[in-house]
Amino acid sequence: MTTEFDSLPHWWGSFTFSLEQNIQWRIGPLTLIVRYRDGEWHIGHHRTETFEDLDVTWEVQSTDQLPDTLDNNSRYIFSQTVKQMIVTPRLADRPIISRPRIPFNLTAGEEVTLYVSSLLWLELALGTSPSTKLEEVAIQRPSDTWFGPSTLEGELCYASATHCRINLAELPQRAHRAITPVRIRNQADTTLTIERLNLPAPLLSIYACADGQLWTPRVTLTRGKDGDMAELLVDNKAPEEAKSPELVSRPRTTANVGVLIRAFNAVFS
Amino acid sequence: MSEYWNDIVNLLSNERLWGLVRAVFMIVVGLATAKLASTAIKKIADKKIDTHRAMLLRRGSYYLILGLFLISALHQLGFNLSVLLGAAGIFSVALGFASQTSASNLISGLFLVAERPFTVGDVIRVGTTTGEVLSIDPLSVKLRTFDNLFVRIPNESLIKSEVTTLSRFPIRRVDVLVGVAYKEDLKKVRAILDEVADKNPLSLEEPKPRYMFQGFGDSSLNIQYSVWAKRENFLDLKNSIYEEIKIAFDEQGVEIPFPHLTLYTGSVTEPFPIKNIGDKQSGQT
Repeated sequence: MTTEFDSLPHWWGSFTFSLEQNIQWRIGPLTLIVRYRDGEWHIGHHRTETFEDLDVTWEVQSTDQLPDTLDNNSRYIFSQTVKQMIVTPRLADRPIISRPRIPFNLTAGEEVTLYVSSLLWLELALGTSPSTKLEEVAIQRPSDTWFGPSTLEGELCYASATHCRINLAELPQRAHRAITPVRIRNQADTTLTIERLNLPAPLLSIYACADGQLWTPRVTLTRGKDGDMAELLVDNKAPEEAKSPELVSRPRTTANVGVLIRAFNAVFS
Repeated sequence: MSEYWNDIVNLLSNERLWGLVRAVFMIVVGLATAKLASTAIKKIADKKIDTHRAMLLRRGSYYLILGLFLISALHQLGFNLSVLLGAAGIFSVALGFASQTSASNLISGLFLVAERPFTVGDVIRVGTTTGEVLSIDPLSVKLRTFDNLFVRIPNESLIKSEVTTLSRFPIRRVDVLVGVAYKEDLKKVRAILDEVADKNPLSLEEPKPRYMFQGFGDSSLNIQYSVWAKRENFLDLKNSIYEEIKIAFDEQGVEIPFPHLTLYTGSVTEPFPIKNIGDKQSGQT
C-alpha cells in the first residue's frame, strides 16, 4: 500500500487524485472510497453495524478496492472536471439532543458548562471555484428523536449517542466528533432541572486544533428571569479549550446570528 | 357604387352593430383582465397561503372579473339585466331541485374549504382508499392512490364519513405486534425489544418506545411494542423493525410460536395409534 497519506495530520482537506485512483477513508464505522476517472467521480460507502464508539482510529490511503464493492454508491459525470476533492467535516443539519448521564438541578443564579460531543458528516466537494458540492456522508448514522412538549408540537432532531459531561476529561477526544462547550445560566428564581439539552448544530461552525480534535464555538443558554424564555448565544470564535484553532467549516445556517430568544421548553426539557 | 357606399354608411351608423363591437371588445378586455389578475394573485398568494387556497382565490377572481365583463357586454347588446337575473333566479330554483346531489356536494365543498381537514398534497384515508390529494374541487376531491389510480370522492361523502389525514403531524407510531411462547421470560423479551429499538436509527429515541402486554393468547403471550418514527420513515421502520426483532429473538433463543393444535379423543377412548413408517428396524406401533 502506498504511504502518500501517512503524514496527514487529519482526514479532511483537499485531495488531488491521479487518473483512475481510488482513495479510501476509514473513520470509525465508515469506509468511504472515492474513484476518479476522466469526467467521472464515483463514491461508495459502507458502515459497520457492530462498532465500539470508544476506540476510533482513522486512516486515509490509496486502495485497489473499487467503490462499487461497497453498499451505497453514487456516480457524478462532468464534461469538464478537476482532480481535487475537498473533504470537509460538517455538523448535523438538525439540532442534536444530548442528555447528562444522570439529570441534574441548577439552583437559582447558578451556571455550569457542559461538554457535548456531536457526530460529524463528511462533505465531499470538487475543488472548482466555487466548489461543487457532491454529497454528504454521515460517519455514523445518529438516531432520530423528537424534541417538544407533545407529539403535535416540537421538532425532529438527532439524538446524541453519548452523554454530555461536566468534566471535559471524562469526554474521550475523538477525531470523528466535534465538542461543543455549552454554558447554562439559570437566572430565574426557581431551580432548573436539566434532563435533555437541545444543541443548535446548524448554527455552529467547526474549528480544528493542531492535535486533530474538532471544536465548535461555545453556546451560552440563559434561562431568563421570568423562567419561560431562554436566550441562546453562539460565540463567533473558537472556544478557549481549543488550542491554536483553525476554521474548517462554516455553519449551515448563518441567518440567525447573535442572540436568539426561544421558548424555554424549546431548549431544555 | 353609391348603393354600396350607402349600405356601408347605414351599417356603420347602426346602433346594434356598435353595441356588438363594444360587447366583443368588453369580453376580450374582460378575458385579458381576468387572466392578468389571476396571474398576479398566483404570484402574490403562492408565497403567503397554501396551494389549495391560492388556487381557489385565483379561480374565484378569474370568474368574478369575467362575469362582470360578460354582464356589461350583455348590457351593451341591449339585454335587460333585471329580467335576465329574475329568469336566472327561477332557473336556479328549478336547477336546485333537479340537481340536489350536486348542490349538496357544492355546499359540502364550501364546508371542507372552511374546515381544512387536509390540503392539496396531504395523504388521506377515506374508507378503504388511501392516497395523495391532487385537488379539492367544488364537487369532489381527487386522489392519487399509491398504486397510481385516480379516485374521485364526492365532497358530500367526505363530510359524512371519517377521513384520516396521515400526513398531518411530523411523527407517527408503528405498532409492532409480537407473540412469544409461554415459557419465555417477559423481562428478557422486553429488554431485547428495547435494544432493537435503540439500535434502529429510524426509531425515535423520544417519545420512548412503549411496551404493552396484550394478554394470554391461544398459543402465545401477546405483546404490542410501539415505536415512533419520522412520518416519511414510517414504512422503512415498520419493515426493518420486524426483521430485526425476528433476528434478535432467534439469536437470543426466544420462541415466536405459531398456533398449536392438540388432538384429544376424550378420556374414554384409547390414544391414537401412531405408526412410524420410516423406522424399518423397529416397525413398532
